[in-house]
Amino acid sequence: MNRHLILFRVIASKSVTLSRRYLVNTVVGFVTLYVFFALIFFGGQFVAEELISRSVGPLVVGYFLFTMAVSAYADLTHDLTDEAQWGTLEQLSMSPFGFTEVVAMKTVVNLLGTFATGMVLLVLMMATTGTWLTIAPLSVVVVGVLTLLPVVGLGFVFGGAALVYKQIEKVFPLIQLSFAGLIALPVQDYALLKLLPMSLGSHVLQRVMTDGLRVWELPVFDLGLLVGQSVVYLAIGLLVFRVGTAEARKRGVLGHY
Amino acid sequence: MSAVLEGARNVYWRLSVRENLAFFAGLHGIDPRTRGDRHEAIIDTLGLTAKADEPAKNLSRGMKQKVALGTTLARETPVLFLDEPMLGLDVETTRDLQTELQRLAQEEDKTIVITSHDMDVIEAVCDRVIVLSDGDIVADDSVDNLLDVFQSQSYRVQLAGNPPAHLREQLDTRFKLLNWRTDTDSAEFKIALAGSEEFYECVEILQTAEATIRSVTEIEPDLEDVFVELTTAESVSPEETET
Repeated sequence: MNRHLILFRVIASKSVTLSRRYLVNTVVGFVTLYVFFALIFFGGQFVAEELISRSVGPLVVGYFLFTMAVSAYADLTHDLTDEAQWGTLEQLSMSPFGFTEVVAMKTVVNLLGTFATGMVLLVLMMATTGTWLTIAPLSVVVVGVLTLLPVVGLGFVFGGAALVYKQIEKVFPLIQLSFAGLIALPVQDYALLKLLPMSLGSHVLQRVMTDGLRVWELPVFDLGLLVGQSVVYLAIGLLVFRVGTAEARKRGVLGHY
Repeated sequence: MSAVLEGARNVYWRLSVRENLAFFAGLHGIDPRTRGDRHEAIIDTLGLTAKADEPAKNLSRGMKQKVALGTTLARETPVLFLDEPMLGLDVETTRDLQTELQRLAQEEDKTIVITSHDMDVIEAVCDRVIVLSDGDIVADDSVDNLLDVFQSQSYRVQLAGNPPAHLREQLDTRFKLLNWRTDTDSAEFKIALAGSEEFYECVEILQTAEATIRSVTEIEPDLEDVFVELTTAESVSPEETET
């Protein structure tokens, strides 16, 4: 088996095993996401029934994207903090694959897990609202990944900062709030807003899931811009992460927390 | 390269012994499914067979340390770094680990680098010792050579009766008097003498003071004495220690 596949396999296996061993945490995390959505939906119906019934589709897609985005950028930092507290972070850094590849592979595993739980949550949300959206797997996955990759890039920036400055999670709620804003930006009215992470992706994903467009029916410019954003944000994220790793090693604080 | 770091858990407490070995093998690109037998052999050698499916968090400190060592072996690297590997372990576990480390070096041709303040462990396990003081290397030699260098420098002298009062001051001024103890009818002191000339000079001082020498014993230094001597004295270059 290819060495990189072996790495992927053991990281995925460890992730699944630890999720089972920390079962309460895993289940509570998922249930909390669903309950929060139910509160927004039913509470919203109570306050503004007409508005909610008109925007159920965008609400479901937006929440689906929001939960995955939060996970995509925060999981990496949480993982690094956990590993530092467990005393295993330095062990990861000794891998011949290099620390960045190990962490990147863990991020891929996290993204797959995020997509899996996101899809389950999506089905639950659609069942709760009674609004069934178009789920064309290929189109949802392609656009979803291209929307989340810039956020993963941000995750690497925060991960790199966490290695040097440690407890940085206090800024996370603020970032999460900004995600909600980015998802709802009116990119169709202000083209420049498309350059911000997730804003264009959110818009395109809405069209895929509520209007039933397939990925090949989307504007080529928008798709190209999504790919470009993914590459640029990811590259910046990886660069900052590598700088952060080098600085943490230089200061001798890689395993600190 | 693989390492066991002091103060870190090194392994995943929620994973079993087998799962830890499999993960760390994969972390170094080794497919754990093809190394089942080797992992079982490592587990067996470290005496962890009965606990192989137990999460590491349920194991004693010594066993966790063994699991950490096991994960470094599962990575199949030629060089192992062990930082204070015996810290906090009981005597039996320490002895087991020492034996295992010696076996690894001899039979599996592993290069094992141990950093430790426990000179007994170093003396028991290592071939070559590098002593650091304030970030500088003050000795780099084999254990045997280092012990030889400091072999004949310290003596325990027992005197019959009470020696004259000035003797202690005289010895302390001229040589390095390490300790001094007197009883009602005897005295004992430990002294460092550099070479035979100082030895004979010391004996002459004792004779002049009319002290009766009951015995003179050469003190066999252990590595801890060498370490203290090296780190408290001025730096000794490797060339000096080899002579």
